[in-house]
Amino acid sequence: MTLAAAYRGLLRAYPREFRERFGAEMERALRDRYRAARRRGPLAVAALAARTPVDVLANAAALRLSQRESTAMNWQSMSMDVRYACRMFARNPIFTLLAVAALTLGIGANSAIFTIVNGVLLRPLPYETPDRLVMVWSTNAVEHRDHDAVAPLDFLDFRNASAFADLQTTYSFIVGASLQTAAGVDQIVATAVTPGMFEMLGRRPLIGRTLTDAEVQTAVVISHGFWQRRLGGDPNVIGRVLTISSQPRTVVGIMPPDFVFPYKTMLGPSGFTRSFDVDAWLPLQFVTTNSRATGVATLSRSARFMSVVGRLRPGVTVQQADAEVRGIASQLAATYPETNRVVSSVVVPLHEQAVGGMRPALSLLLGGVGFVLLMACVNLANLLLARSSARQREMAVRSALGAARGRLVRQTLVETLLLSCAGGVLALLAVRWSMSALLALAPGDMPRLGEVRADFPVLAFTFALSVITGLAIGLVPGLAASRPAVQTTLKDAGRGTTAGRGQRRLRAALVVAEVALAVVLTLGAGLLLRSFMSVLAIDPGFKPDHLLTLQILLPNAYQTPDRQRALYSDLFTRIEAIPGVTSAGGTTRLPLGSTNVSTTVDVEGHALPPGEWPEVEFRRAMRNYFTAMGIPILRGRGFTDQDGPNAPPVVVVNERAAHRLLPGADPIGRRVRFGSATSPWVTIVGVVGDIRHSALEADPSPEVYTWYLQNPPANPFLVVRSTTDAALLTPAVRDVVQAVDKNIAAYDIRPMAQVRSQSVAQRRFVLLLVGAFGVLALVMAAVGVYGVMALVVSERTAEIGIRVALGAAPGDVLRSVVAEGLVLAGTGIAAGLAGALAIVPLLSAQLYGIGAFDPPTLVTVPAVLLLVAFAACLVPARKAMLVDPVDALRS
Amino acid sequence: MDIERYLPLTPVVLEIAMALAAGERHGYDIMQDVERRTAGRIVLHPGTLYRALARLLDQKLIEELEERREDNTDERRRYYRLTPLGRAVARAEVERLAGQVSAARRLFRGGRA
Repeated sequence: MTLAAAYRGLLRAYPREFRERFGAEMERALRDRYRAARRRGPLAVAALAARTPVDVLANAAALRLSQRESTAMNWQSMSMDVRYACRMFARNPIFTLLAVAALTLGIGANSAIFTIVNGVLLRPLPYETPDRLVMVWSTNAVEHRDHDAVAPLDFLDFRNASAFADLQTTYSFIVGASLQTAAGVDQIVATAVTPGMFEMLGRRPLIGRTLTDAEVQTAVVISHGFWQRRLGGDPNVIGRVLTISSQPRTVVGIMPPDFVFPYKTMLGPSGFTRSFDVDAWLPLQFVTTNSRATGVATLSRSARFMSVVGRLRPGVTVQQADAEVRGIASQLAATYPETNRVVSSVVVPLHEQAVGGMRPALSLLLGGVGFVLLMACVNLANLLLARSSARQREMAVRSALGAARGRLVRQTLVETLLLSCAGGVLALLAVRWSMSALLALAPGDMPRLGEVRADFPVLAFTFALSVITGLAIGLVPGLAASRPAVQTTLKDAGRGTTAGRGQRRLRAALVVAEVALAVVLTLGAGLLLRSFMSVLAIDPGFKPDHLLTLQILLPNAYQTPDRQRALYSDLFTRIEAIPGVTSAGGTTRLPLGSTNVSTTVDVEGHALPPGEWPEVEFRRAMRNYFTAMGIPILRGRGFTDQDGPNAPPVVVVNERAAHRLLPGADPIGRRVRFGSATSPWVTIVGVVGDIRHSALEADPSPEVYTWYLQNPPANPFLVVRSTTDAALLTPAVRDVVQAVDKNIAAYDIRPMAQVRSQSVAQRRFVLLLVGAFGVLALVMAAVGVYGVMALVVSERTAEIGIRVALGAAPGDVLRSVVAEGLVLAGTGIAAGLAGALAIVPLLSAQLYGIGAFDPPTLVTVPAVLLLVAFAACLVPARKAMLVDPVDALRS
Repeated sequence: MDIERYLPLTPVVLEIAMALAAGERHGYDIMQDVERRTAGRIVLHPGTLYRALARLLDQKLIEELEERREDNTDERRRYYRLTPLGRAVARAEVERLAGQVSAARRLFRGGRA
């Protein structure tokens, strides 16, 4: 009866003793059950058939586990194993050192990357129950924007949504504010928040209180860093009056050191591209009149500049909130088509908003560093295997004396676990010690870098990784060594200890795997390098060399346009008089170094309703901006001093904007108006070249420039072109600004080349790390190939001796060893390329200008690896060539 | 003999003890008795039953009959019965459960808070 046979097979899962005692009884019981089930019908039989294997296997497993507890896991034998392992380490100090070093490197690199991933991606944001916090954005279907700031009046309507327990808002940009000091002014970073923001985030101040609705325009909450840095940690600071942007404000509270709000990534597209820490939170006040004062928001539907953060009611999902907000947005679109026709809304989890953008790069690093550890493991397993073949006699003796196979495997595992845990402990120390260097390499605009530290999850991760690593590297050699052919090994006692054919094959397989891993890693590094170079080769549309940039903030004394024009005239004349300066200008949005702001445009004669006006980026140009930046004027003219405040208003557009607004037509002389139908018409007088604004990789946007004499800015960027190194101009330019008025705050003075370099900081960071992983991979592959070939040569000394004695030329010997090594490497390369086919496409988000299957990289990487393998073979091959046949045959 | 150290019994063990309360039974008989008495709520499969029996034998709470009783079938089966210790342990477990149940009844029946 086949059923009984199947059951007997299942019963083999039990320990033999139990099986012999109860097996027959159990079979009989099952047969009785089967008969009973058959009487009840096919369903009962099926149920029995399904239940029986589960019953047998689960109980057998439970039985075996409870037995093991009482026998194998006994502490006394365990401590014997540990002592034995320590004696082994002491006897082979070089092996021990090498192994621990490799493990420290592999585990440490993983811990370091995990520390960053944990701090940036995994740790909850520093707010109460942050998983219920979301952001609400406007979307624009026509401009394909899914992440626009929200207009104040729309925000007030969203506030009524039942999905939110609380909805608050902040500027979707960070304002530079000036702080009046005894010596002049300092620039500080401030943002305005609705007074309930702190309560909604669930954070209380360290000292004092938060903002209330009653004290708009008079109160300020400051950050812990600002308090320590600028106010000397004065304990009596509450109640002190600070003059911020010419407005006296009383300090009412200090937030705790770990409080960060907002993160850069929570700002709208007009946010702030540089990293910053907010120094001061001002209460946000909604007003109905038009105002541009700090801390004030004019109630409107057309100006979108608020970042909206909300707390969901318990039980409400993001999807539900999103659906409700979309519903409100479509009602608004129907009610206010003038402003909201193409506008909808979207709800995004706050955590996703804050750090979601970092996920691809960090996952890539985590994957790459995982490969490094994998390679270190393979290398060590190989090393242990070599050693275990030397220990085969020992294992055979122990086995002959009655050691169980499990004990022998355990002995090896104890050794590798001790090694890997030592590596883990050293790795933690290394991480602590090197973290600040790693963070210094990281791009400054990576959110939450300040929160990265080695905390408990890092400890747990490192420990788990150490244990897994120890088990992984111990299992292969452990199993291989624990099955010694006792008789042959003991009989062979007279001859040297050599690995059997099976072991050599295993070692070759490990080397092939190692080379394959190295191919994948170096291929990734190669692709990133090629992308980085193509990004750097992008022409941004302006000339970043010999260009100094800075930002200035005018004090409130310069409130009228006339005073501002007089100031700028004086300032630019003096800057251009500095020796070496060839031209100077300014703008409100510095390419690669600042944010975007856009406006809708109506073209005269197109007669579109305001809701359908196209949107373009909006900047102002000052003085000789186009000349200083090296932006070419392609048609018409640039601005001149004749375009004064009383002259007809003029505008210059870039090529994209000309094409967007007036496709196929000559834009010169055509008139446009911005924002609303009440704005004045302005005439297009020139077309300039496109530039890359948000990033080198980002396509140029349509841009329009207005002229500073017709609309002077208060917080512009200045650009100064010189014949010398731009950085050398810094003191002279700073002196000039101070000489014009000591109350002008001048900050962020840096060469444009530096701005450009910072804009690719994240790419550089990823490249540097993956490049380092790639180099490590090459070294480990070389060590692996060298190790296995050295073993092959030492084992074949006798054979080589015979061949030489029979007349083989030294060259033949060399060739045969090198060929064997290259076959191994070639197999590994082929396997690696096959693996890369599957893995490399995951990289494509990080690539620029090349495909994932980039022919130059695909040719270079295997060539480099072959070369490395060749070099690694040469040493053992030379040794083989020098074998003295007489010695070899005598031994 | 310290009976406490065998307590509490698992539901499966208590069921087996109840099945053996009236006298000796063989394995399949125990399975059927338990299934019948609990109206199918507890179904003992061979794996579970014999692991529990092995444990009870080791603990000397049950014993195997020396003389095999011949059934009307031609198969020789093994019969088990409670030892005096096993009976005492089962009784102690029933007392323990009764105490727990009456305490729980008092607490949950009174104030339906």
